[in-house]
Amino acid sequence: MSEPVLAVDQLSVDLGGSGILSDVSFTADRGELVGLVGPNGAGKTTLLRAIRGSVGATQGRVAVEGNEVSALSARQTGRLVATVPQETRLSFSFSVEEAVAMGRNPHIGRFGTADEEDRQQVQEALADASLSAFADRPVTELSGGERQRVLLARAFAQDTPLLLLDEPTANLDINHAINTLDLVRSVVDEGRAAVAAIHDLNLAARYCDRLVLLTEGSVLEAGVPDSVLTTETLEAAFDARAVVSTDPTTDSPRVTALSDHESADEI
Amino acid sequence: MDARQRAVGWSIWLAAVLGVSITVSAGIGPVSIHPLAVVKVLLNAVSVPTGIELTGSSIGNALQLPAPAIRWQSPFAYSVDTTYKTIVMRVRLPRILLAAVVGFALAAAGTVMQGFFRNPMADPSIIGVSSGAAAGAVAFLVVPVAVPFGLGLQGAAFIGALLAAFGVYAIATEGGRTPIATLLLAGVAIQAFLGAVIAFLQLHSGDGLRQVVHWLMGHLGNAGWDDVTVTLLTVPVLFGILLAYARDLNVLLLGEEAAHGLGVEVERTKRLLLAVSAVLTAAAVAVSGVIGFVGLIVPHMVRLVVGPDHRVLLPAAALAGASFLVLTDTIARAGATEIPVGIVTAALGAPFFLYLLRSREVHEL
Repeated sequence: MSEPVLAVDQLSVDLGGSGILSDVSFTADRGELVGLVGPNGAGKTTLLRAIRGSVGATQGRVAVEGNEVSALSARQTGRLVATVPQETRLSFSFSVEEAVAMGRNPHIGRFGTADEEDRQQVQEALADASLSAFADRPVTELSGGERQRVLLARAFAQDTPLLLLDEPTANLDINHAINTLDLVRSVVDEGRAAVAAIHDLNLAARYCDRLVLLTEGSVLEAGVPDSVLTTETLEAAFDARAVVSTDPTTDSPRVTALSDHESADEI
Repeated sequence: MDARQRAVGWSIWLAAVLGVSITVSAGIGPVSIHPLAVVKVLLNAVSVPTGIELTGSSIGNALQLPAPAIRWQSPFAYSVDTTYKTIVMRVRLPRILLAAVVGFALAAAGTVMQGFFRNPMADPSIIGVSSGAAAGAVAFLVVPVAVPFGLGLQGAAFIGALLAAFGVYAIATEGGRTPIATLLLAGVAIQAFLGAVIAFLQLHSGDGLRQVVHWLMGHLGNAGWDDVTVTLLTVPVLFGILLAYARDLNVLLLGEEAAHGLGVEVERTKRLLLAVSAVLTAAAVAVSGVIGFVGLIVPHMVRLVVGPDHRVLLPAAALAGASFLVLTDTIARAGATEIPVGIVTAALGAPFFLYLLRSREVHEL
């Protein structure tokens, strides 16, 4: 079991002639939630897309459970990597259960139908995301937080070793954000690996085992939150003055950005 | 309930509706025939293979070769007026069955195109198929030199349809990718261009104008058993392919990137769905002319009832389309003077659709 679930090795990606990512390397292991942090435009979303094979690598490789993603079919990738998008077109009146069941698509053959295991996975995913009571509701009638849980449940039902999340909390209020990350944390603890792009540094520090700080397409710093979130790295990455302290409630690093006329002593 | 069970349930129900529609329609016309008599005529026409026998066939006088032949037997022999038999079997049934197959094909292709383009205004002609067929047919009728290879009117329309669809696809494809928005716009542009071609040809059609207008408005009047046989052989096969991709079509509704993440080879699936829908539409339009609204409105009406899951929606919409066109064509030919069925589908379909739209508060796909 020495092989990590996800191995990104010296990955470079060019899109439309300009380099988006250069020489990015990191791994994610079973039971590990890795946070991608960094300023807007640092390449977090592109990195997630490259991991699931939606964009091709210019150099380097991405391997999930030892399989190089670029060599896999969509179906094979779909059995290894599940993605929770920032938002999705859920504006069709599919029921919650139907929407979650779509996560089983990579597991069902062209002429097959859902079997007992598929149904069971869907029911478990609905239960995990506390959606069982909503199973027959049309997704169009759900609130933003409930819709986010449908996307999570769909990814859970996909039953993959690797879970990718693109800003899973971006459109949620603080209560739903915490619930969402608790949910992710619990499925990761059951033995999956997850990579999440999270712009809220405090949430990232609190929930992730390790952080990868991206700036301009390169890894500036990677490691446990304490080592990644420092005044120096934040200044370099975000071009912002910030104070890092320890949150007395959660015991995780707390980042406080300063405006130009504030000094660290006032905080 | 399971999607497959729901699909089978709706299909049985709608197939029964189609059966009743066909029977009733076959009794309506200048000579009114009681539905029971129609049923008897139809049952008499049923024959089942009961075995294989060897018949001696001779080549010249020298060789005697045994050749296998299937023995057919008609299990029913009701006594019916032979006039009724002739009217039903020779005159009405070919036309009714053609209406059923054309309606089936147009509704199926329309359902796929609406899902494919994620656009409620999409219909089977959106990638230029109908315009291409019309241009081919009108060119055949107007330009005398446009008769190579002994192609008939249907052949010219079919080829025009496929050329237009392929042209739209080729224009919209770059580097192996076909963005849906580009495809939509290319389709609109090609339709406009072909519209100009058709209008120009009409201006110079002289005595053929009546025939051209008749074709453009959609017609099933000249249906013969040949047309029925050809479409009955092609349409079910194409429909089967679409049905096999119903689940992928559901997933594609989530957007292309999400679909890829859920195991769908997006570009390959899109190519296949486009090609099959185009051929399906072309086969229908070639024999019937441009019949509007069936492929646009029937999928919407059925979606309001059975929901958006294509595994259920696709067969249900196709069968409903078949009944819809059988009934509208019956109205088209029932009056004192026959009117093109395209007028009836639009005149009846549009208000009914507007009623559904208002009463069900459904405004999206």
